[in-house]
Amino acid sequence: MRGPFGGLILNIAFRMLVPFTIVYGIYVLCLGEFSPGGGFQAGALLSVGVLLARMILGENARFNVLGKTSVVLAGVGTFLYTLTGWLTIFGGGRFLEYDFMPIRMEPAHEMHAMAIFMIEIGVAVCVMMTIINLMDAIIKRGDEDGSSK
Amino acid sequence: MQIYIIEAVLLIFLILITCAVIFCKDILSAAIIYSAFSFCAVLLYLMMGAPDVAFTEAVIGTISTIFFVASLKKIDRWCK
Repeated sequence: MRGPFGGLILNIAFRMLVPFTIVYGIYVLCLGEFSPGGGFQAGALLSVGVLLARMILGENARFNVLGKTSVVLAGVGTFLYTLTGWLTIFGGGRFLEYDFMPIRMEPAHEMHAMAIFMIEIGVAVCVMMTIINLMDAIIKRGDEDGSSK
Repeated sequence: MQIYIIEAVLLIFLILITCAVIFCKDILSAAIIYSAFSFCAVLLYLMMGAPDVAFTEAVIGTISTIFFVASLKKIDRWCK
């Protein structure tokens, strides 16, 4: 992140824009239950930083997530979502029935909010990595047959 | 009464922007004008009382503009 980005305007724009975007994405993720926003929007906001770095610097970007890593992490996000459902099943309820979470908290809506937060973390990771993977598929160069290298 | 006027102006903007995107010969300009379409749609959703949809549209409009510009690397910028 220390090196120049190929020009004054790109440099200033990237460094001013991306930290605020990431902080706003985390804010949207944490307050998704009470206000507009949620996992999908937070994941899309968090992916903007990586997309901009890859647009500006190309394949040499250091603030980057590789294509194969992004596929694996998208699977991890989906697994987080499913794990929350399994936890409620192991607690004795049905899939995603939040009253049966193994961690007990006294007001019931606190427990619901925590379970929804776990689900939204999974959705955010999955959406962010899927968008990065789409960008990777768009940028990747193909040979004459059209298949990717 | 004023809210209907603003809504009508925004709808006319939407139609004009769509015509501009269709008849534009430069694909890079078409992608940029399409982001203006997305912005007008965000304002319309806000006036209709759906801030959640407006937020999603704003984020996805930005990301789809990035995708369109990135895919210009592979194809010709000017259409015949």
